[in-house]
Amino acid sequence: MMIKSLRRLLTLLVVLMSVSVVMPSYAANEQTSQQMANAEQSTADMWRAVKAGEVGTTAATEVEAGVLINTFGNEGKIIKNDYINPAMMAVVVGVFSIFLIFFLVNGPSKLTKGFSGKMVLRWSRADVILHWGMAISCFALILTGLTIMLGRHIIQPFIGHEAWAFIIHFCKTVHDWVGPVFFVFWAICVLKWMPRQTFKSYDLKWFLVAGGYINFGPFKGKHPHSGYANAGEKMWFWSLAIFGLFICTTGLMLVFPGLALPREVAMIAVLVHGVSAIVIIGFTIVHIWMATALSEGGLECMKSGYCDENWAIQHHDIWYDEIKANGSLKYQD
Amino acid sequence: MAVMKFLCDTKRCIECNGCVTACSNSNSEALVWGIQRRRVVTLKEGEPGEASISVACMHCTDAPCMAVCPANCFYRTDDGIVLHNKATCIGCGYCFYACPFGAPQFPQKTSFGSRGKMDKCTYCAGGPVPDFSKEEVELYGANRIAEGKLPLCAEMCSTKALLAGDAEVISSIYRQRVAARSNPNVIWGYDPQTAADFK
Ligand code: HEM
Ligand code: SF4
Ligand code: SF4
Repeated sequence: MMIKSLRRLLTLLVVLMSVSVVMPSYAANEQTSQQMANAEQSTADMWRAVKAGEVGTTAATEVEAGVLINTFGNEGKIIKNDYINPAMMAVVVGVFSIFLIFFLVNGPSKLTKGFSGKMVLRWSRADVILHWGMAISCFALILTGLTIMLGRHIIQPFIGHEAWAFIIHFCKTVHDWVGPVFFVFWAICVLKWMPRQTFKSYDLKWFLVAGGYINFGPFKGKHPHSGYANAGEKMWFWSLAIFGLFICTTGLMLVFPGLALPREVAMIAVLVHGVSAIVIIGFTIVHIWMATALSEGGLECMKSGYCDENWAIQHHDIWYDEIKANGSLKYQD
Repeated sequence: MAVMKFLCDTKRCIECNGCVTACSNSNSEALVWGIQRRRVVTLKEGEPGEASISVACMHCTDAPCMAVCPANCFYRTDDGIVLHNKATCIGCGYCFYACPFGAPQFPQKTSFGSRGKMDKCTYCAGGPVPDFSKEEVELYGANRIAEGKLPLCAEMCSTKALLAGDAEVISSIYRQRVAARSNPNVIWGYDPQTAADFK
């Protein structure tokens, strides 16, 4: 009973999520069901009806056993192999190299006034733990997910059969079990951090000067206004919130065979999972670059929870002014 | 090289499920409870134009299962038979989502995570382990192809509706049948004459 209603709920969710992705196939389905309705008694029409997914009776009991032919999965295969997989490859290689080149040309974004040595409280202990819980589980899912999607092209050709069998099993098992862990961390982080992530008018100006990270041309030395989170971080947050919802929902659908989802729904789940992974992985690469290399003094926030006072003034002036004014500013002892 | 295929003549199939039983018998060591590699589907049951078709893996020339498998564990034999390696299969289910005929099946249906090793019709051609080994019998079932025989389902079909063999050969047998029924343009050889047609 519970499984059944859960299954219905998930089916509805994924259908809603992917209406845009499958619109063309939907139109085709409508056409084919029309053909089925008009089907005459001739064999040619029967064959057409079978191709359109006509359901017969059978003694077999597995999922959709009465369906002789279902072409939807093959269309899904084409979308996955011809578009999603290459797009993932392009995003991983592309985003990484663009940032590498940008970093080599531009150099890091330094603190104009250097370090003050005075540390201001930015993240609570709980926030830091939550962040690393989400980050580590997400990173494990990225590495194992990438192997599941692209490993047969980029790993298998270069290793022996036994090694490949071990790697793909390892990745599948880790991905299955870390998935729900990520889901829990993700849900808490999104709910807890959401209030600080609403867009403000000054966020638009932040984009216009590319956040002040560019060290040459007309952008040099610009420090746009920003609250607790800057416009870039807000974009990252909302992408992770939205596509995280998609990826967790579809992931959970795929990880419970007992749901016995219709093949169309399962295939759509695979496609939505893949597209969401592309977005999340693209942003993750940018996020890690920014935190570790580009923004001097940024990583400290997530190590101790404290940031340098000059970093707060340069990168999050509105937040700094606010906590200074209302007295909630706390220095490290 | 031969290209082995199945072909089911709907004008002959009488839905006796003999092929299903033959398959289960031939591959009994490899089949866990609840898995049935072949099934017979009847369309328009009890109505004019009723037709039954026996279906299993069709050993597609451009196989969708092979194209989506993350473990890349499928391979094609010299006879055009699509087989897979259970040692590499991770039980993700992608092949089942992609296959137009619903051929791949899984032993674990209720647990969390993996569905267990995928199982499907092997065309009675065993798997990627030594022919006739204990391992082959237990994982994949019969290897009648290595014995120079055709799949048991087709061999035992009481009406010879289910044909197995080189595509050239079985399609020419089928063409001869259709010609003999003097209905050369009909695709599946089923053009029912019922009371409704004579009104
Ligand atoms: C940031 C988080 C995640 C990323 C980056 C990610 C990435 C991926 C990728 C790239 C694939 C391969 C898709 C394909 O081949 O089309 C995949 C498959 C899969 N993912 Fe995720 N995923 C994430 C979260 C989750 C979650 C939360 C679950 C829920 C348990 C999950 C469960 C699955 C399952 C079941 C598969 C199918 C393969 C398998 O059965 O192991 N994923 N994931
Ligand atoms: S499992 Fe399905 S897709 Fe693969 S060869 Fe058999 S019929 Fe074709
Ligand atoms: S279930 Fe096994 S054979 Fe099917 S796609 Fe997944 S790994 Fe490949």
